[in-house]
Amino acid sequence: MKLRDDEWDRGHLQSHLQAAAELEAWTIPYYMAAMFSIVDRSSDAYQLIQSVVHQEMLHLQLVANVANSYDYSPVLGPDAFQYVGNKIPHLDFALDPDNPTKLFSPYSAEIGPLDEQRINGMCLVEYPEWDTGGKPDFRDDVTEYGSIGEFYDAVEYGARLLAADVVGGRRQVDMFSEFYRNLPRMTVESSGAGAFAELALLIDIVRDQGEAAKAADAIAVPFRNTADDSYPDLSHYDKFCQIREQALHRRLPKTYSVKDPSEYTPDDDKRLRILRENFARFTAAVGNLFAGRNPDDFAPLMVTIGGNILACWKSHVTPKFT
Amino acid sequence: MPSDATTVFRLHPSINFARVGTSEDYYLSPETSAGLPTPGAGDTVGGLPIKKGTEDEPITSDDLRDDDGHLRRQAARYRIFAYDFESPDHYPSGAGVEICVGSTLADGRVVKDVVWTVHLANKKANAYNVVPSAGLQAYDGKVPQLRNPSAYGDVNAPNRLRQLVIDPGPRAIASGRGGVVSFDVKTPASYSNRSGGISEQLEYPKSFPQDSNTRLFEPSGPLDTLGELTTDHAGRLLVLPGRGRTAAQYDEYGDPIPCTGDLNNTGWFDDAADGPVSATILFEDGTTEEAFGAWVICGDPAYAPQIRNVVTVWDDVYDAWVRNLGLQPEIYRDAKFDEDYRPSFAGDIHPIFRAASMQRWTANLPDLAVRAHEAVDAISAGDDPDATIMTGLAYVRNPNVQAELSVGVPLMPLSLGEAGTDFLAVSKTQYFFLEQWNRNHFDPDGDMRLGPGEYLDMASLSNCLGGRYVPGIEVSYPVREPDMYQTDWKTSGAGPVRVKHKPLRYDAAEPGTPFLSGGWIPLHDMTDGLEPGDMTKFMSIPWQTDYNSCSIHQASINTSGENTATGNPLTLYWSWPSQRPDAVYPATEVVGGVLPERVWSIRGPGTLTDDPKTAATFQKALQSVTQWDRIGVVLQGTAITGDDYPPAFFLEAESLLPTEGQSVNVVAEWPFNANPSPHRGWGKGSSIPR
Repeated sequence: MKLRDDEWDRGHLQSHLQAAAELEAWTIPYYMAAMFSIVDRSSDAYQLIQSVVHQEMLHLQLVANVANSYDYSPVLGPDAFQYVGNKIPHLDFALDPDNPTKLFSPYSAEIGPLDEQRINGMCLVEYPEWDTGGKPDFRDDVTEYGSIGEFYDAVEYGARLLAADVVGGRRQVDMFSEFYRNLPRMTVESSGAGAFAELALLIDIVRDQGEAAKAADAIAVPFRNTADDSYPDLSHYDKFCQIREQALHRRLPKTYSVKDPSEYTPDDDKRLRILRENFARFTAAVGNLFAGRNPDDFAPLMVTIGGNILACWKSHVTPKFT
Repeated sequence: MPSDATTVFRLHPSINFARVGTSEDYYLSPETSAGLPTPGAGDTVGGLPIKKGTEDEPITSDDLRDDDGHLRRQAARYRIFAYDFESPDHYPSGAGVEICVGSTLADGRVVKDVVWTVHLANKKANAYNVVPSAGLQAYDGKVPQLRNPSAYGDVNAPNRLRQLVIDPGPRAIASGRGGVVSFDVKTPASYSNRSGGISEQLEYPKSFPQDSNTRLFEPSGPLDTLGELTTDHAGRLLVLPGRGRTAAQYDEYGDPIPCTGDLNNTGWFDDAADGPVSATILFEDGTTEEAFGAWVICGDPAYAPQIRNVVTVWDDVYDAWVRNLGLQPEIYRDAKFDEDYRPSFAGDIHPIFRAASMQRWTANLPDLAVRAHEAVDAISAGDDPDATIMTGLAYVRNPNVQAELSVGVPLMPLSLGEAGTDFLAVSKTQYFFLEQWNRNHFDPDGDMRLGPGEYLDMASLSNCLGGRYVPGIEVSYPVREPDMYQTDWKTSGAGPVRVKHKPLRYDAAEPGTPFLSGGWIPLHDMTDGLEPGDMTKFMSIPWQTDYNSCSIHQASINTSGENTATGNPLTLYWSWPSQRPDAVYPATEVVGGVLPERVWSIRGPGTLTDDPKTAATFQKALQSVTQWDRIGVVLQGTAITGDDYPPAFFLEAESLLPTEGQSVNVVAEWPFNANPSPHRGWGKGSSIPR
């Protein structure tokens, strides 16, 4: 259901930011699993997905910083990490005039190796917004957006309406600014309406780097990674389209083969259990991080999850996170 | 002793390192392995040099400089071990008993005296250029361009040898007499006569730069010696290096020839050196025995002696011996690793983890990386590898996959690689051990199985920079070449990892005729052994310019400027952070157990720059050859006097360079880039110093 401006309140903004955090977080295991399934770590596909994974972590941080500036700390529970069928959270592609699922088909939202279904799903997540040419609509149900671009437009517009509520320096996290040395800041440090430029910058970064970039646009120079991205000018969508081109020409890199769960050994089951346990600890650590508690185990867990995923693939086991 | 066994004698460490200093005084080479637990040393980890006059008392920060502030030298100490040898030999033997003057052997013989002979030389100026993009391959069927090409002739031309090789000849010293014997111009050449005495060779054709140059630019004093020999309280040999002096020729305008680069400076000399070490053992019954000899290398100071390299020289040498010389067939045979082998967690796995975690003390790692590395170091032998941060080896660069040598983040080690490659990888043997550990096929309880002499061999080499041989700082890529070693180790009694000495007939030396030749080079089927100077000649000349330069670079430094690495071509990476500290924490600025901001180890006047890739260096090459002794040394908190520093800290001590002021470049957290954006300069809250 659409909302009028005067119906938009802190609760709506918080639910949108919670949804944004959940979507950004949802992509991380989905993309990481596809990335680690690739045997050749020097391949373009591996490198492209890795750069997107890193930026999804950045986006999660930026969303949390925006949310915390409104005194809301996003929480990530197991429900945010459901990978079932074709269900990509918070997006209803049928609402998009072009319905991109027609182009990116078949696709799957299930965790799996990099293949046609996964790369189509990845393109769908990052599908560029269509140009509505006007003020974005607010929805009281965050699942009623057709693209992530439209969704972030609504978040930005709604944040502006409530900018007077912003308090700077509240539970702000900065793990990545050294990777983006052309940006002035990745946190909200000012308060009140005057802080909106800082806040809008963070949303712009998210939108421009991936989810809402116009298909033909390069990422704006200040938003480009300056450290470890071989293609810093490409949006997530463009990066995934490059990989999809490889898929269309049957040139996807080799991935670890997958065996049927009925063939899993006790060691396989153990690795899956460790991954699930570490992922639960990781999501708790993320929650603590964005709640201002600076947990010691965040970085080690972030790294370990990748190792857990790879250990599964090397055993020909499809990773499971929850 | 079994009836068919014989007693053989070996010098250990088989390769040891003396390190230059500006002081006449010295301490002794470390006999423990950098960064690793040391029995009986409490919290203090290995790698610390030893106080002069003691068996094994580690130095403290008070020992780094003498009363006048001069940097003390490190003497290389050698011991003799007796072995019951039965062919074919195996490794590790776990055997060996040290003998000194007065020792009684199992067969009743009593050691009366030991005559030690050492021959140091410096062939750098007559050697071939270091080629950063080619490394060892520059010798594959050819040779690189000669240094000092204006000196006519090939590498063996007598005029080049006379003008460009520093060769004082051999020197001998007897344990029973002690004293000090100098490798200078005046002291006569001498050597063991193999009968328990010392022969002098007054006709030996010594050569020093002064012989061929009427005038030299010598900014730190005359380069007129390569060091000295002396003995310790037990009669063991101590090889003392030079004072880190350099000399340059003048050009035709009367100006000193400038250093124009890092590696191959024309017209320059330094007093680094290397050469064979031998010992004749004289028994009370008048008989003698020759020990299997060792090698000494005189090089740069150890600026971070306890910070372990992820790839040490030992790792490279061990890998070469395992894969090429049949060192341990249970690990590698028939051109493949044996997957049944169980590496030792303590000896084979943990050192890699430990080294990774120690990089934070000499490199500007971001906090996230520090915390991840701490988790690596926390892995214990009892942990299930699947449950650790290293599971899957997801972040370890695979040395068997060439393409991964160009992949930067997040693969480790995240430092620059060897010639022609972007990034460093662990050795193939190290990687095999990691793979075995990763599949839970390792020995959690096994300890080092080395004999005491074998341990010294390992420890000595494990304290040096491996992997990144462009050209390295103590030794270079030839250490991996089987040709330079005594390969008949299983049957000769020599034991492994012993440099092959080229036989030298000192009695045949003639005045005016250079005694040494161009010497051994790799990949040319030269198997008759190495001459003095044949190891350090592959290093830069002078060493100080390379030390200064090798701080932080773009990955393209190794590939002729063409970027082949993933990521931003301007991103900077560390060169030798364990051996050449980049960013350090000064002990004097630790307050209440809280670490201060990092500073560059090379800083102060003459270091200001607006390009981060040169932030940690003297901006003028000449400054590097005159101020290298002012740089501080990173030591563990337990070894630093003046405060109660935590043992977990490794801090810079005894630097003579300032930590603050306008002449100090700000340390940015990694990642940072060359040619920074005008919007964001050097890091959070910082600006480019002017």
